[in-house]
Amino acid sequence: MTGLENGKPPLLDVRDLSVTFGAFAAVKNVSFTLQPGEILGIVGESGSGKSVTCRAVMRLLAAGASAQGSVALDGRDLLALGEDELCAIRGRDIGMIFQNPASHLDPLRRIGQQVAAPMIRHLGISKREGWQRAVRLLDDVGIREPEKRARSYPHEFSGGMKQRAMIAYAIGCQPKLLIADEPTTALDVTVQARILQLLKELNRKTGLAMILISHDLGVVADICSRVVVMRGGEVVEQGPIDEVINRPSHPYTKLLIDSQPGRRTYGTTATAGGSAPLLDIARLSVTFGAGRSLLGGIGGDHSFRALDGIDLTINAGETVGIVGESGSGKSTLARSIVRLNTPSGGTIRVDGQDVGTLAGDALTAFRRRVQMVFQNPYDSLNPRLTIAEAVAEPIWRHGLADRQTARKQADALLETVELPRSLRDRKPRQLSGGQCQRVGLARALALKPQLLIADEITSALDVTTQAQILELLVRLQRERALTLLYISHDLSVVSSLCQRVYVFKAGRIVEQGVASEVLTTPQNPYTQALVASLARLPTERTAPHSQSVSHHAT
Amino acid sequence: MIDTPVLAQAMPSFRKPMPTMLVALAILGGWLALALAAPVIAPYDPDAIDIMNMLSPPSALHWFGTDQVGRDVFSRVLFASRVDLLLCVAGVLPPLLIGTTIGLLSGYFGGVVDNVFMRIYDLTVAFPFFVLVLAIVGVLGPGLLNFILALTLVGWVSYARLVRAQVLTIRESEYIQAAKCLGYRPVAILGHHVLPNAIGPVIAYAVSDAVLVMLAGASFGFLGMGAQPPLAEWGVMIADGQAFVQQAWWICLFPGLAAISLGLGFALLGDGLGQIQRRGVTA
Repeated sequence: MTGLENGKPPLLDVRDLSVTFGAFAAVKNVSFTLQPGEILGIVGESGSGKSVTCRAVMRLLAAGASAQGSVALDGRDLLALGEDELCAIRGRDIGMIFQNPASHLDPLRRIGQQVAAPMIRHLGISKREGWQRAVRLLDDVGIREPEKRARSYPHEFSGGMKQRAMIAYAIGCQPKLLIADEPTTALDVTVQARILQLLKELNRKTGLAMILISHDLGVVADICSRVVVMRGGEVVEQGPIDEVINRPSHPYTKLLIDSQPGRRTYGTTATAGGSAPLLDIARLSVTFGAGRSLLGGIGGDHSFRALDGIDLTINAGETVGIVGESGSGKSTLARSIVRLNTPSGGTIRVDGQDVGTLAGDALTAFRRRVQMVFQNPYDSLNPRLTIAEAVAEPIWRHGLADRQTARKQADALLETVELPRSLRDRKPRQLSGGQCQRVGLARALALKPQLLIADEITSALDVTTQAQILELLVRLQRERALTLLYISHDLSVVSSLCQRVYVFKAGRIVEQGVASEVLTTPQNPYTQALVASLARLPTERTAPHSQSVSHHAT
Repeated sequence: MIDTPVLAQAMPSFRKPMPTMLVALAILGGWLALALAAPVIAPYDPDAIDIMNMLSPPSALHWFGTDQVGRDVFSRVLFASRVDLLLCVAGVLPPLLIGTTIGLLSGYFGGVVDNVFMRIYDLTVAFPFFVLVLAIVGVLGPGLLNFILALTLVGWVSYARLVRAQVLTIRESEYIQAAKCLGYRPVAILGHHVLPNAIGPVIAYAVSDAVLVMLAGASFGFLGMGAQPPLAEWGVMIADGQAFVQQAWWICLFPGLAAISLGLGFALLGDGLGQIQRRGVTA
């Protein structure tokens, strides 16, 4: 390994760090070291204690928490420092960037002022000098027209630009260590790839040591040289990235690697000869908000075209995926199919029937044929109903059975989605996200639909949970001969699950075709960018990624 | 990502006893018991005039003394609690029911219905609450029934506004989208999915509204526009006794204390319900 071999003292040495919230131990005896110039990844699922560990290093823990052990930065124990000394270190020696850049930037101050603030505070430079350095930093992190942009407010920045500004903010004082807590999780994949590239460059050019916290093993493998795998507050495995990924020793690490989307294909097969299309969408357009201002029309046309001339067909028994980043219109399409919003043009036909004209009994019949599972596991279930009630409700409301029988059928459905019987009287709040998503699936299946639309159903879940849900979905698809429309921002998930893929961008289809072909030989430049930005696990690696640079570039 | 341990930690706090709630329930329960048992407990007929015992101070015979025509203040305070408790219920329930219904429809369906109701709301809140109620009672004529009618006419808007705001957020939630998608009828969605999730803050508000109604009832009784003498009502009793407050403080003091304690009970209950509501949100 690059950092370890030359026997330098580590930059950061965490020994037997434990953090407890009352009786709950969030982090148990965690030890790791970080060499100067190294990028260390900490991987784990939600609740694994990875964020708490880094907050303990920064001494940013909530009031109720207590930390034991030792955290030495250049030989100084951070846990023993007083508040004054800490303030001199935070922002000066250690910079931090967070998951949601929007909530960590002050909406009322200009970006340039915010980037300059820590330098003025720690380096004692003038405001003018601070501003000039801020502009240079913004330039360094790849923001175009930095002089003009420094005068902007955070709301004028996109998510990716805000994260760049946060990075500029964090590296202004040339810290020795940058802690990045899920820095790309809230961003689209193509933006994520560019931010990771930026972090890599910073490391290479200035020798900045980094700790990258992520739930995404792919992201960590992309830029880190060493990785620490955490689970339930403990370190289960650590080592050089190639070794951990190619020869994982702990079963959990193996599970984590196997759960990575794109590591496997689920082998959904198109049942029945795809002759007549089940779903046929022609020239569909959806327009939002025709800007009803008080003065009427003076402000001009503010309407926003969410979908613009979409043509799409799905044959019975097919599994079709839709991929796109946020704002590409993929959810709008799903909502239009189930009539949660009204198209402004075009037609949606299910088995030749125009969905838009359905009413009364025909609409009820349509509801039984087409069902949808939603994105947010908790929000998609009424918090006041038990899960058995939630699953039984569609059955008796549609008069398919009386309430008693419906409850029995609901039990059977919960079994189908592999939920233990003991959970049936729980409320959604008492379940995990993955369990809630299973309930959502069971509820959608209660009406025995032909077409099931799954809108980002795994995007709020951990990777191992995601893998389980996908497996369940595939089994259900096979057993019930479902036609599946799977919507996701994650190209690797979609391509491992679906036979055909549509790629959406800004309300239009930019590419369509057989999943494996789109993934391997993308035609459209946007799809190519999307494929290139997939942070996939390497199979074998030769060159080390981050290098030790012995001095701070100034 | 969703952190389950945090949720699990928050759950036990649900079972912690809440002192405010206990005190509130004790006060309200006490008054309810006294009101129900008034005929049994009261030592005298509340309306019986006793010329021989006018303005006698508190004693073993008359615990709270007697008023200017010799009626027993203790008995009158007890009987008045029936009127005032009833007034709270009658003054809160009609605006609650009407306001909640309108708020549900207006928030869920939006459009023209919503616009019309919101303009009526704007008109109503343009006037101070008491002034508007006074004006309506002035037109309809004094009396308890007209007072309650006036309260309903003015009071529903607060409930409608509160419910509407709740519904606006709830109707965007995915479980409502899912319910629409599953083909449930609007009535079923409103009654089974929207209302139960919107009603919490409404109940908490209704309880604090009861304080306002009770004070309004007493004030209007005092002004001679609510309950009419000789009916025993705390506000009326205070109004009656104010001419004698120099010689006989007890005529005003005891009904006043009664009104304050009941008001406090409702206020604490509202506070407690609000706390439970907030815990429910964070848990």
